[in-house]
Amino acid sequence: MFKFFSSSKVYPLIQKLINFINSIFFLILIIGLTFALVLSPPDYLQGDSVRIMYVHVPSAWIGLACFSTITLLSVLNFIFKIKNFYFINKSLAPIGLLFTCLAIVTGSLWGQPTWGTWWAWDARLTSMLALMLFYVFYILTFKLLKEEKLIIKVSSVIAVVGSINLPIIKYSVEWWATLHQPASIKIIGSSSIHSQMMLPLMVMLLVFLLYAALIFLMKYKTEIIRIKKKNIKRD
Amino acid sequence: MISNFITMNGYGLYVWLSFSIVFISCTVVYFKTKKTLQKYEQEFLLELQALTVEERNKALETSKVAQQILATSLKIN
Repeated sequence: MFKFFSSSKVYPLIQKLINFINSIFFLILIIGLTFALVLSPPDYLQGDSVRIMYVHVPSAWIGLACFSTITLLSVLNFIFKIKNFYFINKSLAPIGLLFTCLAIVTGSLWGQPTWGTWWAWDARLTSMLALMLFYVFYILTFKLLKEEKLIIKVSSVIAVVGSINLPIIKYSVEWWATLHQPASIKIIGSSSIHSQMMLPLMVMLLVFLLYAALIFLMKYKTEIIRIKKKNIKRD
Repeated sequence: MISNFITMNGYGLYVWLSFSIVFISCTVVYFKTKKTLQKYEQEFLLELQALTVEERNKALETSKVAQQILATSLKIN
């Protein structure tokens, strides 16, 4: 089953996917921005500052999703020794870091007019900052360590330890009294967000997902080429 | 109406700054990633060209990835 993940099988698909994303990306971006900045109504309490949510929420979700994937693949790599998972993780981590940083910055820009402060040592904000630090440590292992086996071990430990922070981020708004409001969108149960705001949020999420996929594919392709270049004579 | 769109009823600075930071960061990361990818593709091709004809043919025969990179670079050039 895991032969599917071999670079020779995956590589031809990568360019096709990159071309596909490039062909639809700008159209969806324009639709998303039109909904987010023009068509969606202002919130009855937050006014137009609610529009920041359309970049803040997808960024936070992708930041969390990337780290969850990294943890899962690290564990699978540890058990099944699938080297490709290591390259996938290496390509995913910078994307996760980018979106976590964007979630923190845009959250801060939303906090100033809404809460009257750029930053508070609130449980949700602090746990997101911790996630950013885990990403930084994770990426540093690739930069600082030389031996691949050691990198896999250290990065896997960081991923597993960091994954403890994921439920803390999710439930921080329920476990503690926080400035950050509880989740408005629920997978199970009814969401408290109006469809006129839900639609732009989902379109912007799609835009961010496409962008993340594009960067991931380019980084993953770079990793494959780097390895093939190293082994060119052996191949 | 345009004025309202720009000022966002007093929240313009925060809204536009958020969207601008996201847009600029994503654009920078996109071009940086693309540049790195192109650099590695070029280096791979140079390595391939540096091989003897036999070694190159063997590398191309055995590696689908090498074939793909060569094909892509031929398309671009």
